[in-house]
Amino acid sequence: MAVLDEMCIQEKMLLQHEVEQFLYHEARLLDERKFDDWLALLTDDIHYWMPIRRTTTAREIDDEFTKPGAMAFFDDDKKYLEIRVKKMAAGNAWSEDPPSRTRHFVTNIRIVDIQGDDITIEANFHLYRTRLDSDEDSWIGHRKDVLRRIDGNFMLACRHIFLEQTLIMSQNMSNLF
Amino acid sequence: MPVSAPDVIARESWFDVDTGQLDRRIFSDQQIYQEELKKIFARAWNFMCHESQIPDPGSFFLNRIGEDHVIVVRDRKNQVQVLLNSCAHRGNTVCRAEQGKTRSFFCSYHGWNYDLDGKLLAIPGEKDFYRNDVDKEALGLTKAAQVSSYKGFVFATLDAAAPPLEEYLGWVGRLGIDSIAARGEIEVVDGIQKNRVRCNWKLAVDNLFDWYHPKVTHGSAIRTGVMSEADMYPMNQMVMLGEYGHAIGGPGVSEEKQAQLEEKFHGKNQSDSADRRDYHNAWKTSHKAREILGPVGVRSRGHPNIFPNLWITLGGTQACLRIPCGPLETELWWFTFAEKSMSPAARRDLIQAATHFFGPAGLLEQDDGENWSHSTRASIGTVTGNRPVQLTMGQGHDEVKLDPSGQSSIETVVNEHAQRWTYRSWQEWMKADSWEALIENHSPAPSGVI
Ligand code: FES
Ligand SMILES: [Fe+2]
Repeated sequence: MAVLDEMCIQEKMLLQHEVEQFLYHEARLLDERKFDDWLALLTDDIHYWMPIRRTTTAREIDDEFTKPGAMAFFDDDKKYLEIRVKKMAAGNAWSEDPPSRTRHFVTNIRIVDIQGDDITIEANFHLYRTRLDSDEDSWIGHRKDVLRRIDGNFMLACRHIFLEQTLIMSQNMSNLF
Repeated sequence: MPVSAPDVIARESWFDVDTGQLDRRIFSDQQIYQEELKKIFARAWNFMCHESQIPDPGSFFLNRIGEDHVIVVRDRKNQVQVLLNSCAHRGNTVCRAEQGKTRSFFCSYHGWNYDLDGKLLAIPGEKDFYRNDVDKEALGLTKAAQVSSYKGFVFATLDAAAPPLEEYLGWVGRLGIDSIAARGEIEVVDGIQKNRVRCNWKLAVDNLFDWYHPKVTHGSAIRTGVMSEADMYPMNQMVMLGEYGHAIGGPGVSEEKQAQLEEKFHGKNQSDSADRRDYHNAWKTSHKAREILGPVGVRSRGHPNIFPNLWITLGGTQACLRIPCGPLETELWWFTFAEKSMSPAARRDLIQAATHFFGPAGLLEQDDGENWSHSTRASIGTVTGNRPVQLTMGQGHDEVKLDPSGQSSIETVVNEHAQRWTYRSWQEWMKADSWEALIENHSPAPSGVI
């Protein structure tokens, strides 16, 4: 955290602003279903991951989330995210046609670490989705993102998504977080 | 169209075996559902977990038998116990974590404490409030009537009259489990994906045999190129039907193709050499696989269902429970199996395939749920609920062929034989008032023209 600690308040405010604007922009692209534009914001080495959460006793809380390499809901590289987007654009992706309506909220954004060009962010999110006339889904959780500065712009280099749900109360998760 | 909705649904007429017409109301009727809990789930052998999930004394995993919540736990003597998760005092849940390790089950209401085998150990106020007038022996946790395991797969039934597990499974059910177990020494990969779909559980079971839908339902996944249309719409189908409703349906390979594959993978470490798509072809080419699965079974690449609700995927890498939660909702629980001897790369491949294809975010499964929930919804409407479901595909056009080994199969094109067998068996279970009656009156596995 050395770099963060050395920054003055003005520098921190500026960086916070840039980070927030990037995350809002990216969320907006997903809500507008501009998935190709969203893909363009991802680094080639992105890890997009949502582990499985379990109800455990407080004593065994370290076991609450599955670890990397075990089962997960999402465990994608760039190639697989491209496949997900390709699927949605295929013209016969029934879970997204008629399209879902989504709204991404990102909040409690904190810059927690800076290593070279990589800025680690923690944020809370709420993804709200409706489908057809009465389907309603709500996913709340927190994210650990890594933003990488490349040629002055941010790219998303890592997204780890931690849901509050154990049993997923949705018919599917055909959307992106 | 005249609307007729009899208040009491005649049991005989739910499924017309001769015409393949099925009464849609079995997908939403509350009374039928209540009967299913008693006559199907409480009576059947239900999959609980794999032994690798509860390795040590005190390791437990929560599951359900119908709507009865159970704890599957390894006791101090290393025996697997299936205990009803409900305190003898007021009924409160005694274990709330869905998995983990514990020394005892302590009730959070008034503090009754139970041993790992369900025995009541201690009651607060036994002397002062109960005046020592309580029969602790009689107040343990209720146990499943029978617990048994087949090749590490733990099953339980709430019915003491159920036949032994292996007999219940019969050769088709055993072949289903063997389709995972024959891979070698296997273990469950950490992480059971669970999600809830707004459909009747039987539609989710019906679908696992359904090789008619992939090309359409999963057309978008096919278009991405992650799987070929040939994979998703294989023309060679193999169906195996077993007593009490067990069935295997889906692709199969001919004797010649099997011989070619055996040649191709000969002498290779099957699980490591194959690419992801060939995995299920690869491991089924070993001498050992043929020995365990039999000459017919080894050619199957289909989906077994252990009646009532355990689906095993075609590669033998995953299994999915379809757990009823009322007539209109079903939970899907995915278990993933890796061989202990797998190389880290092969294991990684297997796990990635599992997350990428199945589960709520899986490329295939994403598109299934809405079809089932809307089929369920139609069973509620006054008019739509009265229109029968069509289960006619291939009926009367095929033949069950008996192999000298004793295994038998239907080798044909895409069909609905396994679904018809499932509903037919389901109806027999629902008509029977006891295991005795079911043993007496269930259909033997079909032979001849079907
Ligand atoms: S309900 Fe369990 S101790 Fe009272
Ligand atoms: Fe499907």
